[in-house]
Amino acid sequence: MPSKPHSKDLSDLFSEVTKLRKNSPLKSLQKYMDADPTIVSLGAGLPHPDTFPFVSIGSTVAEAGVSVTDSSAAAKAISVSSKQPTAKIEGLERFLQYGNGRGVPSYTRFVQEHTERVHSPLYEDWDVVVSAGNTDAFTKAIALFYQSGDTLIVDEWTYPAAIETVRPMGIRLAPVKMDSEGMVPSELDHLCTTWDRPETAPRLVYMVPTAQNPTGATMSLARRHDIYSVAQKHNLVIIEDDPYYYLQLGSYKPLAEVNDPEDRYKNLPGITSLTPSLLSIDIDGRVIRLDSFSKVLAPGLRCGWITAPKYITDKIQFHNETSIQQPAGFSQAIVSKLMNEAWGHAGWEKHLVQTQRQYAERRDMFVDICQSHLKDKVEFTIPTAGMFLWFRVLLNETASKRKGVMGEIFESMLNNHVLLVPGYMFSPLGQTEEVLDKPYMRAAFSYAAESSFEVAISRLAQALEPFTCRNI
Amino acid sequence: MAPNMTTSAACAGDTGAALPPPRDLSDIFVPAMRIHKKSAFKSVMGDPTSTMINMAGGVPHPNTFPILQLQAKVVSPTSRQDKALSPSTANLVLDKSQKNRSTESLDELLQYGAGSGVDSYCDFLKRYTQIVHNPRYADWGVIASCGNTDAIGKAVSLFCEAGDSLLVEKWTFPGALSSLVAAKVQPLAVEMDGEGMDPESLDNICSRWAGPKPLRAMYLVPTGQNPTGATMSLERRQKIYAVACKHNLAIIEDDPYYFLQFAPFSASRSLENAVGAAGLLDVDSGEQQQVDPLVPSLLSLDTEGRVIRLDSFSKILAPNLRCGWITAPSYILDKLQILNESTILQPSGLAQGLISKLLNDTWGLEGWNQHLRNLRATYTFRRNVFVRMVDLHVAGLVDYVLPSAGMFLWMKINLGPDAAEAMPRLLETMKKCGVMMAPGAPFYSSGSSGSNSSSSDCYLRAAFALVDVAMFEPALKRLAQAIVAIRETADYPSAVQNTHTCNVPNAMQKGLLSPAPGKMTISS
Repeated sequence: MPSKPHSKDLSDLFSEVTKLRKNSPLKSLQKYMDADPTIVSLGAGLPHPDTFPFVSIGSTVAEAGVSVTDSSAAAKAISVSSKQPTAKIEGLERFLQYGNGRGVPSYTRFVQEHTERVHSPLYEDWDVVVSAGNTDAFTKAIALFYQSGDTLIVDEWTYPAAIETVRPMGIRLAPVKMDSEGMVPSELDHLCTTWDRPETAPRLVYMVPTAQNPTGATMSLARRHDIYSVAQKHNLVIIEDDPYYYLQLGSYKPLAEVNDPEDRYKNLPGITSLTPSLLSIDIDGRVIRLDSFSKVLAPGLRCGWITAPKYITDKIQFHNETSIQQPAGFSQAIVSKLMNEAWGHAGWEKHLVQTQRQYAERRDMFVDICQSHLKDKVEFTIPTAGMFLWFRVLLNETASKRKGVMGEIFESMLNNHVLLVPGYMFSPLGQTEEVLDKPYMRAAFSYAAESSFEVAISRLAQALEPFTCRNI
Repeated sequence: MAPNMTTSAACAGDTGAALPPPRDLSDIFVPAMRIHKKSAFKSVMGDPTSTMINMAGGVPHPNTFPILQLQAKVVSPTSRQDKALSPSTANLVLDKSQKNRSTESLDELLQYGAGSGVDSYCDFLKRYTQIVHNPRYADWGVIASCGNTDAIGKAVSLFCEAGDSLLVEKWTFPGALSSLVAAKVQPLAVEMDGEGMDPESLDNICSRWAGPKPLRAMYLVPTGQNPTGATMSLERRQKIYAVACKHNLAIIEDDPYYFLQFAPFSASRSLENAVGAAGLLDVDSGEQQQVDPLVPSLLSLDTEGRVIRLDSFSKILAPNLRCGWITAPSYILDKLQILNESTILQPSGLAQGLISKLLNDTWGLEGWNQHLRNLRATYTFRRNVFVRMVDLHVAGLVDYVLPSAGMFLWMKINLGPDAAEAMPRLLETMKKCGVMMAPGAPFYSSGSSGSNSSSSDCYLRAAFALVDVAMFEPALKRLAQAIVAIRETADYPSAVQNTHTCNVPNAMQKGLLSPAPGKMTISS
């Protein structure tokens, strides 16, 4: 098997601060102890594990691939105990002690193996480092390369927390037009080619290529290749924020056309038929991929991981060590035990299929109802992944000429007791007059009870009625 | 409410007279923080009425969370000596969809939440902060943090931006210094003595400050300081607070060792009695105890709302819980919440939920207090043995600060006029003798990273929390060897053999390797 190439060296793009980040001088004392265990080290300011009052932590978890609501289904008990490591999992005291910013080894080992299985990076020197979820990961990725006054390229509609993170950092946002698949490559190319001041040329582009928040758009493989080529042309680093990656759902089918639900859902993408990630086509090592357990296990765990060339993950590790340290040991312990022992890679993959099933059912039901109740009121692209529907309101002639009409629409929605998110909240340009009147809104079908979909969409139809085109 | 958890300077509970509001410090916020707005996005979520169907939140449904129940087995804190050898344990359980007495359901803990933290977690910590510190102004609160390292960066960012300076102790926590480097904030070192930051030095620096932008904030570790182990007396804290008021400074009080305050050390006690500590009675005797109060925090002296207090569970439960809390005026907490929401969101819901359940229900306040008392006993014992060994083996060779809290002992060693040259030789020689300690350089706030103190002194920080107590004596003997070798031998370190064997003297083997439990109380 031919050896993989080394990543391109992009460290000249690092910010001044990143260049200064290095290993904690105190943590580097560890190397003396590892070399000679007869040395008594009074160097590290660590508390003694005997003072940790936690003897063990345990959980009852669903069997892999079994629906949580199926109360007759088997569940599994897992536990991690103090001073009782297993072959794969450290003792609990190890999860609860100070460590380094890379993560507890069994946790990082699992996510590394998983990344290899699913994405199989093309360059040899890739590595992983923990994050406390993708919002944390995003701030770390930005901090690698950015200084005040720099510009970040983003989708024309994007994740609000990203907008709110970069604003106080003095970073400007350059939006790029999207179509139904997400960021348009020719628009990205045009932005970079026509940038008027080479010394402030943007070097970083942020995107959510699968089930984008808010538009729900998913880039095809061809689109990903095209975007990647533009990034290579302009030497851009790509932040691939991909929390919905595993929520790929296959194509929508109206419920009326489904004879057998089991048959309908037997061809979900699983793990083997996912659209390949940008990481998996990244020959240069210019993709910083952000993965999170938030949508595929639970948000409250606050853990995920970042994949990038090792010289980059090292910097993120050092940044972790001066901020969050690492995700909570309890979260890493439960995830590690679940993944490494209770489920294994095969079980994890079964769980992902089960999760895809749940989201696919919701998506299908929701799209059915939207198509029947919102005809001629909105248009939308049917999502093939994730949890969002992005509506463009078909304003009638009078409404479309009225300033502030979207504000009226949201008022009308509140009066009708249905809540969606106004499009302007996702605009990198902020709440300008022009943005406020863009006729978009985001619906999420992940949370509300499926039994309430019809009521919700009826209310939405009612709220939109005075403002939308009529069927002639 | 337990009667004996307050400090000597505060009364348990107020008589009802209204407390004044905090001084508005927004004039010393950095410009970016003054315009920092609450997330418009999150305000859309707001508080939807029960008739509102929420298609707005992009959150997963708990039916997709495969974690059906969470359990933990914890030690039951006990004060009885005869239980010490086989401590009892308790189980706590978090149910998936039901509320767990004081604590939210697992579904709620595992869901996205607000950047302020889990409600039951914050509620306990607010009540606890009230009991221990009894803040002297109205309209304060607590929010969750994921540990003090992260909290420091966030607190500093309220008052300092790139190019600003932050007043810090001359020797301080390297994590804070790294944070400042990353933020391009310059540390401004204030002199210290055996009690920590020197108020006169602080006053002088502020009065003479001629920099382009005003000084707005100071950062300090007033109890069991890292690295010096110094603890400020009440009087010192009052002086520091007065200087802060005089110069309109915010105070970032980083206090992870606060509850690890020891009983007083008595050099005259024999080692066998050191464990008993000074005059503390068994908490189970039922008699009015002779108590050692905790030194009051800066928060408890804070009449103007200048203190942003950083508390952490790292040294009092476990470090990698990544959980702590920040106490400050509410309008400041609002800013910190916004910062959380664009970074960590909040600490792990699992960790907050387990801690909340533990403190609210499983242990309750009584068990929590007992646990802290046990920790104080453990650390007091370790400090006592360590200091005894320092006195026995290196007394003539080093100057040191007697720590009254925390886990660090700070030593100053004179090895000739050129400390920068001698220090690496000392470390190398110590390594060959078989002992390591942290060199002073990473803690020094006045130089850039890597450079040494401008003085001719060499500094070492010894941590006495982790290593087995039986190894204290060998460690300090080896340190003595190394120091002597450098002073007396021209040709070193080759003259020093690797001599580190473990000959533990008999006295140490007489079962004095664990503390007698329950011999200590916290003041009422």
